[in-house]
Amino acid sequence: MTEPIYTGVDDLRRIARELLEAGDVRVIIGWEHARRGARPVFVSDPAETDKLIFDTRCVHNLVTYLNPRRDAVAEFGKIGLVVKGCDVKAVAGLLREAQLTRDDVVLIGVRCGGVLEENELPAALALTPENVAPRCYGCDNREPTLTDHLVGEPQPEPPRPVMTIDERVAVLDGQPLEERWAFWTDQFSKCVRCYACRQVCPLCICERCIVEKTQPQWIESSSHPRGNFSWNITRAVHLAGRCVDCGECERFCPVGIPLSLLNRKLQHIVRDRYEYTVSDDPENAAPIGDYRLDDQQEFIK
Amino acid sequence: MSRIGVFVCHCGENIARTVDCAKVAETLKDHPGVAVAEDYKYMCSDPGQALVKKAIEENNLTGVVIAACSPHMHEKTFRRAADQAGLNKFMCEMANIREHCSWIHEDKDEATAKAIDIGRTIIEKVKHNRPLETIKIPVTKRAMVIGGGIAGIQAALDIADGGHEVILVEKEASIGGHMSQLSETFPTLDCSQCILTPRMVEAFQHPNIKLHTWSEVEKVDGYIGNFEVTVRKKARSVDQDLCNGCGDCFGVCPSKKIPSEFEAGLGNRTAIYVPFPQAVPNQPVLDRVNCTLFKGRRKGLAKDACGKCKEACLKGAIDYDTEDTFVTEEVGAIVIATGFKLYDIGKDQPDGLKGYGEYGYGEVPDVIDGLQFERLASASGPTAGAILRPSDGKEPKTVVFVHCVGSRDPEKGMSYCSKICCMYNAKHAMLYKHKVHDGRAVAFYMDIRAAGKGYDEFSRRAIEEDHAEYIRGRVSRIFRDGDKVKVWGFDTLSGEQVVIDADMVVLATAIRPNDGVKELAQKLSVSVDADGFINEAHPKLRPVETNTAGVFVAGACQSPRDIPDAVAMASATSAKVLGLFSSDELEREPAVAIVNEQTCIGCMRCELVCPYGAIEQREVCTVDGHVCGHTAYVNPGVCQGCGTCQAVCLSKSVELQTFTDEQIFSEINALCAWE
Amino acid sequence: MTADFEPRITAFVCNWCTYTGADLAGTSRLHMASNVRIIRLPCTGRIDPLFIIKAFERGADGVIVSGCHPADCHYTSGNYHARRRFAVFHDIMGFVGVDPRRMTFSWVSASEGAKWKDVVDQAVSNVRELGPFEAYRALAPEAVEAETVGSPGAEVTP
Repeated sequence: MTEPIYTGVDDLRRIARELLEAGDVRVIIGWEHARRGARPVFVSDPAETDKLIFDTRCVHNLVTYLNPRRDAVAEFGKIGLVVKGCDVKAVAGLLREAQLTRDDVVLIGVRCGGVLEENELPAALALTPENVAPRCYGCDNREPTLTDHLVGEPQPEPPRPVMTIDERVAVLDGQPLEERWAFWTDQFSKCVRCYACRQVCPLCICERCIVEKTQPQWIESSSHPRGNFSWNITRAVHLAGRCVDCGECERFCPVGIPLSLLNRKLQHIVRDRYEYTVSDDPENAAPIGDYRLDDQQEFIK
Repeated sequence: MSRIGVFVCHCGENIARTVDCAKVAETLKDHPGVAVAEDYKYMCSDPGQALVKKAIEENNLTGVVIAACSPHMHEKTFRRAADQAGLNKFMCEMANIREHCSWIHEDKDEATAKAIDIGRTIIEKVKHNRPLETIKIPVTKRAMVIGGGIAGIQAALDIADGGHEVILVEKEASIGGHMSQLSETFPTLDCSQCILTPRMVEAFQHPNIKLHTWSEVEKVDGYIGNFEVTVRKKARSVDQDLCNGCGDCFGVCPSKKIPSEFEAGLGNRTAIYVPFPQAVPNQPVLDRVNCTLFKGRRKGLAKDACGKCKEACLKGAIDYDTEDTFVTEEVGAIVIATGFKLYDIGKDQPDGLKGYGEYGYGEVPDVIDGLQFERLASASGPTAGAILRPSDGKEPKTVVFVHCVGSRDPEKGMSYCSKICCMYNAKHAMLYKHKVHDGRAVAFYMDIRAAGKGYDEFSRRAIEEDHAEYIRGRVSRIFRDGDKVKVWGFDTLSGEQVVIDADMVVLATAIRPNDGVKELAQKLSVSVDADGFINEAHPKLRPVETNTAGVFVAGACQSPRDIPDAVAMASATSAKVLGLFSSDELEREPAVAIVNEQTCIGCMRCELVCPYGAIEQREVCTVDGHVCGHTAYVNPGVCQGCGTCQAVCLSKSVELQTFTDEQIFSEINALCAWE
Repeated sequence: MTADFEPRITAFVCNWCTYTGADLAGTSRLHMASNVRIIRLPCTGRIDPLFIIKAFERGADGVIVSGCHPADCHYTSGNYHARRRFAVFHDIMGFVGVDPRRMTFSWVSASEGAKWKDVVDQAVSNVRELGPFEAYRALAPEAVEAETVGSPGAEVTP
């Protein structure tokens, strides 16, 4: 079952063309169709804006391309970026953390009704419980507010996947400690320390990652279960209250560690403890770095 | 290669009783990097210290570990000794084997093993210590005092008398504060203005004091010894250099019915006005909100609707087109003395308070607050000192004074005691009885709190000599009944209801911090408590300091204060300021955080968590001066060394000297030697 | 559990409250278990979850993290920030299967020598009950290698 053409594509191409023609941006980062599916594309020629597409295969969080510091972006010139609801939260994250100013980018939002879990397909598919990326279920940013332009018609809610991430987290939560330990140490032991999770993450913004700090070397760098445990926990904790749940880390993990479960658990923690949900409002200060006098402290004697 | 000296103290028997000190020294001698290890009966004694110094010199030690008592006990002692022997004092650390070991364990083997572990941990730490130098910060020897009430005046005078320049900033047109409104003061009943105005004049004429009235603090940059304060001088419309205070302008002003702030609303003033006759400086300001000319301009009238004051001014001092101006003052210390306001119980409550509608304040004209009574009793007040009630100007024959209106009432007002009301109520009752001999003064009170020199005697006098009737109980309702003010109360001692047909009621409303204190506190990075009063650095031991070094606090902005308290605090702040100004440079321990600009990406998480506002964003430039990015920067003059920035830094690009990651990492690693 | 097991516990404490409280326990001669090794830090705000991970890596069976009570922080707010970080770390470690009883978080003021003794004794008794943290030690490269060598035919992780 192929998906009907996304209605916003014409608008998307028109806006991109106008921005380039007017010289408002130097490049538009979006998606194009390729033999193996949708892939990111950089368009700087107004004539090539017809390459731009949006469909359920456009899973990539393109905000990652803004990652090497705002200075580099500012140096390069204004960038036009096509963003889904989850992606735009990452832009808000970069704004919050002074990595970008709002004037550095023009955001073309696409109304998104969810994307596929497996995107390497010659044509887009309509979403079903079997093929939808599980993280899309329950998306809370289908009408982004931070964008400069918003294209496409309002989309239906993404279908409920066969098993939701919350359900999978709940299964783990229900297991005894030993089983959880066995599950996670087994998962982490697979890690080959390629750091793809970090490289693709739009909010892993450090130039020198903690894992590369050698004096002292808090996290052992070779691939073995102990260092892997430290690395994976540290990566997750560093994203607490920052992760936008774009799912890129898990999608890129070559050994299939279910990082989205860790990320989701952290979302639950900050939601339950601090009533915090990551949003696309740059003023919505992150929960770590903030505090309330009456924060929960039931775990403290 | 490290050459560490380990010195194990017996502390007489205190350590040696449960720890085999010789064994500790012997074992630690073999620890990598240790050059010497010795034990001695009393390491802190002169011969003990001599032993340490000799070992440093003879072995050219790079670090010293004193395994003895808590660093809180003798770290200073041994660091001084190390310094005397030519070793950087920050290369000396204490291993606490007394409080944390010998005193809390009985088994000698266990305690000895633990003492060895503790020693190892600290040896590993010292290996990563770096020689540090005390930080020296230049001090600008000028002070700013914010608030020109009695506390601010006193602080300014004391600092100025100490030989330093003071900038006194007052938001009203005149200095003097609430004290200038008072009639007589407890417990001596001397006239407030008689004792205050000479001080105001002294401050005005003092060669070291520069006055900014009708001015507010706009912005504060910098840190202890080096503040840069921008002061907004509000448009006065009167040139202070030209004006000679003749008063011709307010004589001709057509707007004469503006409630006077100074008279607490019981008298009127003009739009161009001097708040009170003894104002300092004795120069008017033009109240643009109420001025006919400015009202006209706001309405967009083509022609100015008035201009009488300008015509009347022979000096040509009036200019309707002046605007707010800004001056920047460089100061080394700041004193906050912004004072208080009364809890306005009658009108709308902006901050979630419920108010006391049942007391009729604001509706019944003869229900007034304490400051209004002060004005009635004041010889310079609207009634020239005669006690006449506001509604009809008659002399009230029965006056009810209600204590604790809004104080000690967490439900509807403030949970705290406003401290001064018991005393001023007694004073009011006395003043009333002195002036209306056949009058009846009734006070409803919860408790009499009259702690202070001569205070209890004073309040007893009100009862015993001036026959004020004190009823222990609360008032439930106050309302108008013909030309009377009905007061319903309850006497908790007799258990009976009390109804009084009063002619006037005086409410002792709660003392609250002045408006704008919160915003000012933010500018100064000092905190306020739940009630909005400025927080002192320590409630007992540092009562006039704040959490921001170089910023001090005096008077009722810290908590309700009477005049002697406020003056004492003010003098205390000036002692602190003069102490700070006693040397050209400020010395600080180098326990501060330093940013690694190579790896910092300027995400500014550290800035969010810094309790002192010590962290700011700083641009990074290339060699040719082109801005190529930004990083965090820690101001060593402000940083207090908590290290919270380092813990939240994802890439560990900020490092707290004296507690570096390497030191802690090594300490943790040393613990794997546990067996 | 091992009969002669002596837990190893690393304590990260702030200088102003808990360290001083522990000093007070000493001056008051309050006897307590000798299994805890203290690392002194300026403030709980300085304590990074990495410290706790590293302590476990280095063979600690349990950790204690302790500082000033809320509103008592020498640096005003270090402990409030720490509280959030610890909460997140505590919860996520629980999620991956670390028994929360191996991590004791407490507020001990400079006047609470007796509370410090209780915290120490309780932490030691908790960890004693749980036994050595073999599961974590088994993650060590040496341990993994030994296991692989020791069991022929075991699948070798690439």
